[in-house]
Amino acid sequence: MKLKLFFACIIFLVFSGLSHAQQTKTISGIITDANQVPLPGAEVKVDGKEIYDVTDFDGNFTLENVEVGDIFRVTFLGFAPQELEVTESSNYSVVLQEDAGQLDEVLVVGYGSQSRADITGAIASVKSEDIVKQPALTATQAVQGKVAGVNIIANDAPGSNPTVLVRGLGTAEGGRDPFYVVDGQPVQDIQNISPNDIESIEFLKGASYANIYGIRAANGVILITTKRGKGKPTFSFDTYYGVRTVLNQVEMANGAQYIDYFNEESAASGGYQLQQNQPFETDWYDELLQTGTISNNSFSVSGAGENIDYFLSYNFYDEEGILEENNYSRGTIRNNNTFHLFDDRFRIIQNLNISYTNESPKPFGSFSNAYRQSPLVPVFYPNGRFGQSYVNQTTGIVNYTGQEGESIGRLNPHGNPVSDVFFADEDINTTTLQGQITAELDLTDYLTFTTRFGATQFYYKRYAYTPTRERWLNADPRRTLEQFQQGRVDADGDGSISTEFANNSYTVENENYFRWNLEGFLTFEKTFGKHNLDATVGISRENFGGRENFEGQAYDVFEERRFREISRRTANFFDNTVTQEFSQSTNLQSYFARAEYNFDKKYYLRAVVRRDGSSNFITGDNYFATFPAFSVGWTLTNEEFLNDSDVLNYFKIFAGWGEIGNANVPINIQQVNSGDGSRNTNYVFGPTQSLILGAAFGSPVETLEWETTEEWEVGFDYGLFDRKLTGTIDYYQRTNTNAIIQVTPLLNSAAEGNFLAQAAEVVNEGFEFLANWSDDINDDFSYNIGVNFSTNENTVQNVREAFDGQTGGSLGNGQITKRLKDGEPLFAWWMYEADGVWQTQQEIDNNPSVGNAAPGHLRYVDQNDDGVIDDRDKKYFGSYIPTYNYGVRFGVNYKNFDLSVDGYGVGGNKVYNGLKNTRLGGENVTLETFNNRWTGPGSTNSAPGADRDAIASSYYLEDGDFFRINNMTVGYTLEEMSLVKSARIYFTLQNPFMFTDYSGFTPELNQNGNPKQTTGIELSAYPTTRSFLIGANLQL
Amino acid sequence: MKLKNIIHLLLFSLIIVSCDEEFVEDVEIVDPTAEERGEFNVPVDFVNGIYGRHTDFAYAFSYLGITEIISDNADKGSAPTDTGTDKHLLDGLTHTTSTPSIETMWTQWYKTIGRATLSIEFTEEYYAENADPENLEGRLIGEAKFLRALNYFWLVRSFGPIPLQHQSLIERVPVEEVYSYIEQDLNDAISLLPAKSEYAPADLGRATSGAAQALLAKVYLYQEEWQAAADAANSVITSGEYGLEEDYATLWRESTENGTESIFEIQGRGEIPAHGIQQYSSTQGARGPSGWGWGFNTPTEDLVNAFDSETDSIRKNATIVFAGETLWDGRVVDPAVENPRYNEKAYSSANAGAGDGDKNIRVLRYAEILLIYAEALNEMGQTATAEDFLNMVRERVDLEPKTGLSQDALRQAIWKERRLELAFEHDRWFDLIRTGQAEEEMIEHGKPFQTGKHELFPIPNDQLIQTPEMEQNPGW
Repeated sequence: MKLKLFFACIIFLVFSGLSHAQQTKTISGIITDANQVPLPGAEVKVDGKEIYDVTDFDGNFTLENVEVGDIFRVTFLGFAPQELEVTESSNYSVVLQEDAGQLDEVLVVGYGSQSRADITGAIASVKSEDIVKQPALTATQAVQGKVAGVNIIANDAPGSNPTVLVRGLGTAEGGRDPFYVVDGQPVQDIQNISPNDIESIEFLKGASYANIYGIRAANGVILITTKRGKGKPTFSFDTYYGVRTVLNQVEMANGAQYIDYFNEESAASGGYQLQQNQPFETDWYDELLQTGTISNNSFSVSGAGENIDYFLSYNFYDEEGILEENNYSRGTIRNNNTFHLFDDRFRIIQNLNISYTNESPKPFGSFSNAYRQSPLVPVFYPNGRFGQSYVNQTTGIVNYTGQEGESIGRLNPHGNPVSDVFFADEDINTTTLQGQITAELDLTDYLTFTTRFGATQFYYKRYAYTPTRERWLNADPRRTLEQFQQGRVDADGDGSISTEFANNSYTVENENYFRWNLEGFLTFEKTFGKHNLDATVGISRENFGGRENFEGQAYDVFEERRFREISRRTANFFDNTVTQEFSQSTNLQSYFARAEYNFDKKYYLRAVVRRDGSSNFITGDNYFATFPAFSVGWTLTNEEFLNDSDVLNYFKIFAGWGEIGNANVPINIQQVNSGDGSRNTNYVFGPTQSLILGAAFGSPVETLEWETTEEWEVGFDYGLFDRKLTGTIDYYQRTNTNAIIQVTPLLNSAAEGNFLAQAAEVVNEGFEFLANWSDDINDDFSYNIGVNFSTNENTVQNVREAFDGQTGGSLGNGQITKRLKDGEPLFAWWMYEADGVWQTQQEIDNNPSVGNAAPGHLRYVDQNDDGVIDDRDKKYFGSYIPTYNYGVRFGVNYKNFDLSVDGYGVGGNKVYNGLKNTRLGGENVTLETFNNRWTGPGSTNSAPGADRDAIASSYYLEDGDFFRINNMTVGYTLEEMSLVKSARIYFTLQNPFMFTDYSGFTPELNQNGNPKQTTGIELSAYPTTRSFLIGANLQL
Repeated sequence: MKLKNIIHLLLFSLIIVSCDEEFVEDVEIVDPTAEERGEFNVPVDFVNGIYGRHTDFAYAFSYLGITEIISDNADKGSAPTDTGTDKHLLDGLTHTTSTPSIETMWTQWYKTIGRATLSIEFTEEYYAENADPENLEGRLIGEAKFLRALNYFWLVRSFGPIPLQHQSLIERVPVEEVYSYIEQDLNDAISLLPAKSEYAPADLGRATSGAAQALLAKVYLYQEEWQAAADAANSVITSGEYGLEEDYATLWRESTENGTESIFEIQGRGEIPAHGIQQYSSTQGARGPSGWGWGFNTPTEDLVNAFDSETDSIRKNATIVFAGETLWDGRVVDPAVENPRYNEKAYSSANAGAGDGDKNIRVLRYAEILLIYAEALNEMGQTATAEDFLNMVRERVDLEPKTGLSQDALRQAIWKERRLELAFEHDRWFDLIRTGQAEEEMIEHGKPFQTGKHELFPIPNDQLIQTPEMEQNPGW
């Protein structure tokens, strides 16, 4: 160290000594951006000389000992570099232009970053301005439709996360979420991060890049980079407020129509008829829904000083849903600092994010109850009790009252949606503390060492209160408090009574987890002539997945919220229950190495290897997995023969191959059926026939390991017409080579229950097109158009003989709609094909039919013409997963106005209208169903009558195609004022229009994303909403 | 802090991260293993589990349908409106590929075979690593093989060519191959298992070498390998382990359970903790006033006539509960019960209508071995010797000995003797098919028997939906 300082002094002395001899001079200047804002920290360096400076706080620099004719180069991250010649002038004012050209941007790629021009794979990057433009709780929801090959299925419920599928769904039983890395730190999700704090999101779609995250990369890798301070101290304030309503309200039948429908249905089975004059009429959606609100306020202070960059922000997001008191709010505090030490050869980077949320969930089953409940049922009866579906079957009046001898029954088994919401009393609070410290040390000017420690602590609390007594009383308006009290009498004197007669029940749940990661890596970066070589080697350790859950439940606690305590009860009929559970945590040890070489920015060669050892698999033979990847690229436009092309400015071909893993897979547990008493594992032996206990293997256990996905991609990046048109076109094929499927045992197999086996392949393949056109007509007018389009074909193949056939998509009424089958998409739709309506009994008698077919029921196709309708006649109808999706964007800037329109669409998929299908009888129907129904022979051959079956069929399977304008924004930027650096106000319409033929509320039905459950089926989905927002950004 | 020190610190932290792979194993396991939970099972448990599979409700209901109700011995019984799901179809010989009783037994037998195979594998693995002081390994494997053979035998005589579970779940192999697999299991079991008298008392009820020998005789009988059938039957007869009970009427009562005539039975206990063949007695118990059951599987008039034609009142009265009669234990059967006759062999005095009863189902008993021996000898032309063994069975129930019959007359006599001796012991339908009497007998009773179809049950529809490549039986 001392020696080096000594040399530096010598050099300084030598140069100062020479200065007189060579007529050197000192120049100074200021470096600003296009808005005349000074840029501190910009580097100014004289070509071929050891003379350089970094701009100070006000953007000033000074260069000593320069000569006229010297060239100096100004560089600053995010801006196009500039070269100037030293002239006679000693004062220079340099205006750096922001780097609009996509090709010069730097992308984060995991354990380092890379210039866009050097990337040889399909990486999509979304910048902060595109993220904040679409207000949303999580950044992934905001970028829906902006990334080719990434299908984001939105969910508009307060506090919900969208489903993110990178290049299709590749697993049936394993985890489906992409791997999230925030500033180099692996995290579970990004719900704790305010979109306002995000600088960029990179989607590592292909295996050749995602591979650096090895055994967890199979669902794609999403890298989040949060904002850091730069430039002058800036205070910014962003705010918006909006209201939201249901986008696609379905119109239901009214009371009179319901009566017709009910009577037709009832007549078919000889049931009672409803009278025309009824005491009540309710529009359930009117009663249930309200106008929701959404608001967000965000403050930040940021800037860069000589030795420290700082960023501090506070953000508060608040949302009230379209159900009353369905609230969600989140506050986040972020502090990102970078300390530059020892001439910036050593940097300490510190990030801290604190986030807390408050949520009061409401049952979404109320949406389906509002659909199903009869409009003749009141919200409240005159006696103040909630309305229920009681009907006087003797008089045909929908009420609970009646004379002696009259029969009071129910129209349907469904509840009162308003009471569902009213009685739900649940609060969820979470706190997430996330932070990391990184140290970067430049060992030499081509070798950097980085080490990082990051950790997350998460706390979750849930308080749920059920007013059992009020629910009991409101379930039947005839019930009295006295009856309830009688139920609370301990008749048999054993000290306990039925929990049906508890006054209330109260559940408190606590959960917390802690995860950490520690990593270190060396980065080598050097140029030898035209040979450029980058290399990274490193190791990391992680512990995650462990959690503790503690839950207590009590009955008969105090009703008043502030007195509610598990241990403070008003009666002692019931025991409290407490459960505590620990989840197994995972230790992960990893090694990774990456080498990137290019010759003269023309020929690229890249190889990556990651080795992961996971404690999840330590009981198996092998718990270390190695994942290799390669990619190559060729920039044709850097070749002589294309150098001067006027049209084609940039053209690079790339191809990549890699292996990635999914360690988030279920573990097979050897199940042994055993127990005492009379069960079929026990038997009697001996002269006195004693009961001898035995056992049986539930199912054969196959050893499971991580799923390994192999992917290759090929494509090209292009830039045309002065790079006004830029984009990427690529093709990928990824194969989960050992997908885990759940196997329903064959009747003649040894297995007694379902079991898991690594017995299939899941293939996803598709094209991705990306094109952006951007042009500045003049200083006042510029515009841009962006289009992305991607296709996806999903296929299950090479299933082990007779291991497929697992069914799914249960409608909750015994009907299933999906099946896993070799050659079809994962859990493809599988059901009868509806073909018209039975017109007459004679038709039914002369043709194969199913169940108790009657005129007006749907008729189903006997696919194999064997005269019987059974499972063999069920047909595959594709998948809920779109085969293509696309996004379009259009933006115009004219003087101070900006206008943008973004749209998003999907197609090629089917969704199932479960609400329409699942009827037990007596439910309401949509106006459309009412109008189109079969009313007698010859009336219609396309829609069933009021009396119909509840069998799942293609009749209820509809095209899931939709196109939605998801954002229209108009903004106005105010002229610069003395104190205010910039100010903009804007109006945004979120989801103003949706174009779809789907008859339900929303074709975006991700549910929990599990392909074998109700994903793609509308049963109690939260509707897509439309919002109107007004907002402002202010920078001081 | 000097930069050099920082370098040292960082390199040091790198070393900490890198040093060993034990980090992966160094995870605190929070899920106890079965052993840690104290739930570890030893091989004998899994072998007990194979036996346990025979106590399922399937044997108390579906099994009745495809063994007796379908035959000329029994009617569906019960109330006319109570179909017993599909028993009316079996009774009327109008069952289909979707008849649940057939699917139930198909599944039941295959799952039991699965338990046997898995327990053999586990037993071998376990004793490869653990000591076997009681020398159990061979016996346990022998028991499992016997039970596997028994279930395959039930399958093959019901469905004909079937998949062998360990080979393929789809490809059906010829009947001969199934039988040779059964024979191999039985021969292994014969050499591995102790004789009935060699077992400790506590193990009474386990499969014996005699049981394997007896089943082997029956297996050869079905294949018409007369000499082999005779040899196997003879070795049971000469083993000295078995004899005939004196009083036929007691044969299916608790008093003779695991007695001298018993070769293999499915065990049940009625006392708490009760565990028997689920509802075997109640499904077949008298229905209606004073009744104790559902009233299924009732003896036909044809069976009564068959007894009467031989003036066989002992076996008739021991086999049939008549409406209005007073049973041996004093129970009075109301004359107004739903059906005129019920199966007395299913009657449990102590646990008549209980879910779990004490009724042991006699699967193999000595009298049948005598009849197998007689039939095999007769087929080989040793008619006179054959008559001796037939007459041993007749003698017990005070019937005149058969003497001097022609081979064919004796054949008919043995077949009839089997019907009367073994009525309601779940063999009648298969005897009808095996002896080629089914068509004539069924048509005579107005049942639409189709030759070339009804000899075998259909492969269940649900199985074919799961494995469409599997072939259906002819005619179905």
